[in-house]
Amino acid sequence: MSEHPLHSLILAADYRVDDVESMWERLKSHRSILTELSAHHVVVYSSLWEPGRVLATVGIHNANSVREVLRSPAIFEFFDASGVDDIPAIFAGEVVEKIELAEPPPGQHAVASVVVGVVTAVEDVPALMDKVHDAADRFRDAGVCKVWVYRALDDGHEVLILQQIETEAAARRWIDHPDAAAEWMSAAGFGVYPTVFVGTLAHITSIEPADEPTDEAAG
Amino acid sequence: MFVCLCTGVTSQVVTELVAGGATTSKQIAEKCGAGLDCGRCRRTVRAIIESARTDCPVHRAG
Repeated sequence: MSEHPLHSLILAADYRVDDVESMWERLKSHRSILTELSAHHVVVYSSLWEPGRVLATVGIHNANSVREVLRSPAIFEFFDASGVDDIPAIFAGEVVEKIELAEPPPGQHAVASVVVGVVTAVEDVPALMDKVHDAADRFRDAGVCKVWVYRALDDGHEVLILQQIETEAAARRWIDHPDAAAEWMSAAGFGVYPTVFVGTLAHITSIEPADEPTDEAAG
Repeated sequence: MFVCLCTGVTSQVVTELVAGGATTSKQIAEKCGAGLDCGRCRRTVRAIIESARTDCPVHRAG
């Protein structure tokens, strides 16, 4: 596993809370946690179909090592503030590529789109990226606006893939009948990996060094 | 994925131990240390043991 200094580390956790808004309020009232983590952003997606299920991502810059970050008290405080006793498995990785396929439909702000998140293992990440690029037109036709791919630092096969999809109906079609190039969809939910997450952006906060976090309403 | 934040034990390690015959979170803790410290990952460890019946096709092939 890589222990070299990381330019930007992303942590992602899929877990359940009693109330998403209460969780966010508690996190906001414990802002020092985010600066202790050297976080540059926190994003919380709220499940459309499973009340209380959230997918949270934390971007961290200049991390010395993943394990140092994960065992820092701030991580435990993050889950404490989230009201979570049992800590879920955490994806830790770096961005491979953020592919922007299309703008959201006219009149629809990006935050209104649906996010489909998958953590799973794939055979070959570079080959996967080639397939996605080759299938870009088909993805776009299916309503996929963005595909963000992250590779785990502890497992070269493991990826976190966030797909922004135009509408809930398009997301449902994509889940039921994904493109062949989106091989991660058929592998989702196996073994240790969570089932496909389908949600919308609930909250996002950007943190500037030495500044207070800036809360950006997600609607 | 990282399962035990205290020790840095990953899901791969836990999965391999389960494949090697571990059937309880106590056995996992004895072999790799996951869950021995704060214990907040034990539920995740138990979930991995449960999910061993639905193997990940990629890791199974590897």
